[in-house]
Amino acid sequence: MSKADELRQRAKRRKIAIQAGLIALSALVILGAFTTARTNLEAQGLTSGFGFLERSTGWDYSFSLVPKTIMDPYSQTLFVGFLNTLFVGFIAIFLTTLFGFIIGTARDASNIAIKTAATVYVQIFRNIPLILQLVFLYAVLINLPGPRQAMSMADTIFLSNRGLMLPGLSVTPGVAVALLLASIALGVVLISRKIPLIHGVLGWVGGSILMCIVAAIAMRPEGATLVTIPELKGLRFRGGITIPIELVGMIVAITLYGSAYIAEVVRGGLAQVPKGLTEAGQALGLSKGAIWSRIKMPMALRSIIPPLGNQWIFMMKATTIGVAIGFSDLFYIVSISITQSGQTLELIAILAGAFLLVNGGLAVFTNWLNARMKLKAH
Amino acid sequence: MFKEMSLKSVAAAALALLPVTAVAESPTVQQIKERGTLLCSGHNGSYFGFVEVNDKNEWKGLDIDLCRALTTAILGDPNANQIVPLSWAQRFPALQSGDVDLIIKATGWTMGRDTELGLQFSLPYFFGGTQFMAHGDLGITEAKDLDGGTICVEAGTTIERIAANYLSTLGVEHTMVSYESAAELRAAYVANRCDAFAGWGPNLAVLRATEIDNPDAHVILNDQLSSEPISAAMRQGDEEFVDVVNWMLAAMLIAEEEGVTMANVEDMAANPPNPKVARLLGSEPGMGERLGLRDTWAREMIAAVGNFGEVYDRNLGANSPYKLDRGLNNLWSHGGVLYAPILD
Amino acid sequence: MSDLSVTAPTKFQSITQVLKKRAFPTPTQSALSILVFGVLAWLAWSLFDWAILRAIWSAENVGQCGKGTGAGACWAVIDARHRLILFGLYPFDQHWRSTLAAVAIIATVVISCIPLMWSAKRIVTLWIVGFATYYLLMEGSLLGLQQVTTDGWGGLSLTLFLFSSVVLLGMPMGLGLALMRRSEMPFVRGFAVVLIDFVRSLPLLVTLFTAAVVIPIILPSWLEGDKIWRVIVAFALFFACYQAEVFRGGFQAIPKGQFEAGQALGLTYWQTLGRIVLPQVFRHALPSTINMVVITFKETALVIIIGFFDVMASAKAAFGTGEWAPYYLEVYVFVALIYWLFIFSLGQYGEYLKGRMAISER
Repeated sequence: MSKADELRQRAKRRKIAIQAGLIALSALVILGAFTTARTNLEAQGLTSGFGFLERSTGWDYSFSLVPKTIMDPYSQTLFVGFLNTLFVGFIAIFLTTLFGFIIGTARDASNIAIKTAATVYVQIFRNIPLILQLVFLYAVLINLPGPRQAMSMADTIFLSNRGLMLPGLSVTPGVAVALLLASIALGVVLISRKIPLIHGVLGWVGGSILMCIVAAIAMRPEGATLVTIPELKGLRFRGGITIPIELVGMIVAITLYGSAYIAEVVRGGLAQVPKGLTEAGQALGLSKGAIWSRIKMPMALRSIIPPLGNQWIFMMKATTIGVAIGFSDLFYIVSISITQSGQTLELIAILAGAFLLVNGGLAVFTNWLNARMKLKAH
Repeated sequence: MFKEMSLKSVAAAALALLPVTAVAESPTVQQIKERGTLLCSGHNGSYFGFVEVNDKNEWKGLDIDLCRALTTAILGDPNANQIVPLSWAQRFPALQSGDVDLIIKATGWTMGRDTELGLQFSLPYFFGGTQFMAHGDLGITEAKDLDGGTICVEAGTTIERIAANYLSTLGVEHTMVSYESAAELRAAYVANRCDAFAGWGPNLAVLRATEIDNPDAHVILNDQLSSEPISAAMRQGDEEFVDVVNWMLAAMLIAEEEGVTMANVEDMAANPPNPKVARLLGSEPGMGERLGLRDTWAREMIAAVGNFGEVYDRNLGANSPYKLDRGLNNLWSHGGVLYAPILD
Repeated sequence: MSDLSVTAPTKFQSITQVLKKRAFPTPTQSALSILVFGVLAWLAWSLFDWAILRAIWSAENVGQCGKGTGAGACWAVIDARHRLILFGLYPFDQHWRSTLAAVAIIATVVISCIPLMWSAKRIVTLWIVGFATYYLLMEGSLLGLQQVTTDGWGGLSLTLFLFSSVVLLGMPMGLGLALMRRSEMPFVRGFAVVLIDFVRSLPLLVTLFTAAVVIPIILPSWLEGDKIWRVIVAFALFFACYQAEVFRGGFQAIPKGQFEAGQALGLTYWQTLGRIVLPQVFRHALPSTINMVVITFKETALVIIIGFFDVMASAKAAFGTGEWAPYYLEVYVFVALIYWLFIFSLGQYGEYLKGRMAISER
């Protein structure tokens, strides 16, 4: 055997030894954690396992998309928390993306006034911790007038310290969820077809509104009016849709913060589009809007989407701060469940599993989107 | 963890060749002695009358005084403790994980906590029930008038469950908003985020008396949802520690019964009026050894924080800003329900 | 507004020319500009009027605050409670130590920004010295001062402590993970990939909560440590997993030939890494690293949820009494301003560096 071979052999052996050591160490840590947990739990007389999921909780919480009672088992309560997290997360993702693109474009504007306004916005909201913005905003919101002195707009939209009351379609919650899903599906279909950006967005908004109108006419309960308008009765508003003030706070705070971040991502993307392309557009006599939607944005999207996906995942994770203002997101529900049931390990595992699932899904979606955009640019 | 430790302590006891009758020292007490500090539960902010932070950034309150009493009993120094700030929801995980040695934090004794959570409880040292406080301008006096209202509550407490249970029994349609910190809850109620505040009676009374500008602007509703025994909570598996905590509480009650106060404790110890006081204050031996403590622990404790009545008056009663009546929380001989086990 | 200066026209144009070209080129554009400038000016004036002109500054004048008095911001609350906000529950007569300690950390961060300090040895020494100064001052027993254990630390000093210890611990961990991720050994690489992706998928709050609540259950008691250290280690792990990705980007920017060249010169793996590759990686990763540091500073605010008395918790306590409860706005503005100053200046520095490096690479 030559010397080089011998050296290579030795290196190979060393590599195998290092890896075996790492695996053994990991296994040892996991095993050790497992046995320690068991002894610790036994010493305190705690039961482990997922049996508690079937027991009813006996406590109430603020927000749920589906009907809830205090007789619900832990499994269902946790599911409600999961839905709430998804709900806030997706609304926040939608709004931050929308405002992020608007503000990001404004940051790139030639008009100095618009550019200054966008810059001020970004520098204020990006540089203060989200949780501080949330509790700050929440303190302002709960000091709004009470329901009896609610601020109103044309007596159809009300804002009080209980929440935002909007007129709503007379549909059951099930139909509402179905509409939401249909709207998301429409969006995905539009992205997967090669439709120009502006047409796609318009088609999506128009289609969604159309679906809502059709559903409201076809699916409304017997004898109900097409639209219900909030009205003050007794201690609170009835009719219409009430968005609890905690939810308003969550959505506004995450949107203000997140859109400042996405604006920077968008600005970065726009800045990477070669100047020559814009000038070529100008030379062809294209309008500013056409240059933006036909040339700059499609080019910029390629470098915008990967960091945008990271921002989406951040937004989903940011919903966990709901616990600071009493919004019943998954983290909040898990945190209360731990105190009320004592099943710390199981509940943390459920929490981690849920986030791995959602964020994994978002990452897959971003990759798919990225692949589509790449194809389009060819 | 505990098995191992109690084995160790048994071994230590055997090595010391103590008499067979001597009680094996509690592993928790042993840990506290080794550490030199007692880890007590505090609050994330102030829970007035029970756990609060004063202007000089020091902890005070009924629960804090009981913690100081226990610290004196075990370590001989009322200040040898650390108050660990905890939210309601974190108190049990913190106890399980050893971040605190015990919870003295207005904690109710429930079956679930006693069994599933793996806790054990001391003698009740306080009785208080869940009640509602509502904004006066709503003009309501009973919980059933809360229909359609919003109720605020502390997350992860028994109150949360009791209030939810009560309202669903009454069939009152309501929205429940729960907060992890008492400060957030108080701010929400004061700002009228909620129509009513479900809370623990004494806490509501304290809030109404001090925190809110005009006490008449708030009513405590007639419904008495529960009356909870409030106890110190400890980890299961250390019976000797429960004994120490129980007799710490008992000694404070006995001291009040016998008229032993912070001011006269030394005189009483020097000239005990009866054998019970003599035993209590360690003027005759026996009191300490049974618990694995010093004979004079109760004397030092009374000298440091006073008897139960003094602690109550200082934090909640006549000598506090809240001026709460003792009511149920008086000695049995004065119309209350507090009584101590027999000191023999 | 540095980015304005980046796109600012050359010196040959006067301000009026610029304004004419970029704010008032057409009648519609002009109207828009006037509207937007008007709104901005109105906002700025309202803020100035509230915060400065009509403000009450001294705690003695608190009687003049409140609704219906026509007064603006009631900075009296800051005057009366600033010590609570800045120092938390730290013993009152020892606040000078907390001040000095905070200054030590801030100085460390500022000095790190000077290019002269950018060698591995200097920067590591600087941070260790800065951190040790902080710790010795705050804890006190080694300097013969009154001992204050970590649970007595609070306010801004605690926030700075969390921040600096997370960066100090997380940076080497991040480098280690990045190296593991580049390893040729499949299991080592797989371990790093799984760990990094796992931690990055979880909200920071979940990681911190796990450290505070779950770790004591699964670790033997002698390994547990204080809650604050558990949380710091978990936070550092979070930082490391993101920082590892930043370093990975830095590694990718370096041609593979450099490694081979190093080996051809007879240097070992560690020599090539330490002398040739890493200095370049650090340089490439610098702007993103500063970005990560900024994010970490911001995220320290989350520890309030797991029960630490950081600057936000102490701010809440500052208006948590009946007397000061109406002035929550002023307290939040004060704390937001503290955060903003730190984060904005660090962020601007990052932008400046990025611009400088972009120029040097042209």
